[in-house]
Amino acid sequence: MTDFARAVRFQTVHLAIIGLIAAIFMVGVFASDRFVTVLNIANVQDQLVALALVALAQTVVILSGGIDLSFAGLLGLLSVLFATFAGSDPATFAAAYVGILVLGTAIGAITGGIVAFSGIHPLIVTLATSTIMAGAALLHTKQPSGSVPIFFEDIVYARFFDFLPWGTLFVIAAYLLVGFVLWRTRFGIRVYAIGDDERAATISGVPVRLTKVLIYALSGFIVALAAIYLVGRFGVGDPRAGIGFDLRSITPVIVGGTLLAGGRGGVLGTFLAVILLALLANVLNFLNVSNFYLWIVEGVIIVVAVSLFVVRARS
Amino acid sequence: MIAQLLGGKGTVRGRKTREILLLLGFLIVIWAVTTVLSPRFLSVKNITDILIQAAPLGFVVIGQMIVIVVRGLDLSVASIMATAAVLSIGVFDNTATAFVAALLLGALVGGVNGYLVSYRRVTPFLATLATMIVLQGIRFAYTKGAPSGSLPDAFRFLATGDIGGVPVVLIVLIGVGFVAHWMLERSVPGRQLLLYGDNPETAYMAGLPVKRIVISAYVISGVLAAIAGLFLVGYVGIVDNWTGQGYELDSIAAAVIGGASLRGGKGSVIGALLAALILVSLFNIVVILGLSIEFQMVVKGVLILLAATVYIRRTRE
Repeated sequence: MTDFARAVRFQTVHLAIIGLIAAIFMVGVFASDRFVTVLNIANVQDQLVALALVALAQTVVILSGGIDLSFAGLLGLLSVLFATFAGSDPATFAAAYVGILVLGTAIGAITGGIVAFSGIHPLIVTLATSTIMAGAALLHTKQPSGSVPIFFEDIVYARFFDFLPWGTLFVIAAYLLVGFVLWRTRFGIRVYAIGDDERAATISGVPVRLTKVLIYALSGFIVALAAIYLVGRFGVGDPRAGIGFDLRSITPVIVGGTLLAGGRGGVLGTFLAVILLALLANVLNFLNVSNFYLWIVEGVIIVVAVSLFVVRARS
Repeated sequence: MIAQLLGGKGTVRGRKTREILLLLGFLIVIWAVTTVLSPRFLSVKNITDILIQAAPLGFVVIGQMIVIVVRGLDLSVASIMATAAVLSIGVFDNTATAFVAALLLGALVGGVNGYLVSYRRVTPFLATLATMIVLQGIRFAYTKGAPSGSLPDAFRFLATGDIGGVPVVLIVLIGVGFVAHWMLERSVPGRQLLLYGDNPETAYMAGLPVKRIVISAYVISGVLAAIAGLFLVGYVGIVDNWTGQGYELDSIAAAVIGGASLRGGKGSVIGALLAALILVSLFNIVVILGLSIEFQMVVKGVLILLAATVYIRRTRE
């Protein structure tokens, strides 16, 4: 089985994560009788939507051997712009919606262009663009401002049978779509080829530069969706909405078994890891453990996960 | 004579000298522009202030550069700075004990980073990201969100005082810079760092203690970050859980602008320090122009991209 087919293939690491999820779930059940309630289950899902989306974007970039640290700035900038232009009636809202998606994609494409054509390490490029965009967002507004139409907030907060938010369905659809693209399309194969060995890919005739532009454009598009969702949840555009999302987006990707070097891994692992992390945060809350300890746990998880993968790769 | 000073065109020393002259020229242009914008800028007092402001970044960037030389990256420096600062006010009454404890903390975290990178083969990015997050958790759990306690007077003196008109912090920084420069350019361990960064496999084949080399780079970075944290709180006067926030990225930017290559094997102490000074001077211009602080971020981002582009061009030639 070729590497790109692993985009959707079930792996041992997935089983391990599911086992951990089950274990944490049991702890939650014993910790509080409010844990398995419709309200709490829906809450956990609400918490993970934005993280799931940015982690999905990060997965594609990391699979190609790159990294995108521009989410903090991009989320902030797109959030404030969306809230500024969304207005209150459906027409302006639709225009702002499309506009933000186009802008996110365009910014991603520009980032990808710089990465592909300048030869500067993506870490430096995205760090720089993130700083620029975060600055621009704060120049636009220091305080959370703007608004979105009530009907949009209703959609964001709406739930099927009380426990299934729209956001979850949206996330699942996004993961299925990106998973399919990585698995079955020429673009997906190229992503894995570049991540596996960029030189070999170039020699084999893969249009590496064009593919990189497309990868970062896709990343920008998904992050724009996350920005729109965040604005819908908060009801305002916060220039600081994205703070922390740059590094937080990487954790689920790595824990999900995708190699930072690229070429190995897929969206299924990321999806499970996002659920794991969200559930962990929720259960620690019920155990009255402060969020500060969550950081410690998260850091340890990264190290353990990565160490395990390295050992496995060597043997 | 000048050609001799610059070294031959193809030599490493020639390239390094030209890089440093380029940075110096850039710094002079920035200061000239600042002077035109605000004639009061060019005073001994003001320049000294900028040097003092740049000093904490100076410590961090030396360590960051050394880590980058061995193909690494240290994202944990800001977290080390804050934790060292928090540790210094709460736990120990004795200033000397607090100082030593902070340095030990830096060495310990650096050691963990180095162990993860060399023995566990964790990517430097992830290893230092993880220690950053863990340290942040420990710090917040320890302070329960808000640090309390007062800063020992000695710290205030170290960061803001002077000996015979020369600020203490600059004396320390120049001392550290001198040692680091000598180590990297002249000493055996320093050359081993560069050799390892240039080609880890050759270094391994040549029988160099590669794991020890990597660990020592991270330990140096951790210790220097702890020192920077102490000087920064001493300068600011208030301890905050986020002391040093942004220094991880600023230090990476400064190291790269100062001529370090993320591919390893290349880096200069003088270049890194000049680059740190350039960054701080640029921030200063933004303030003098009366632009909002947020504008600094835009300036910084553009500058990083420009500098990186320049270096890529030069190395390709």
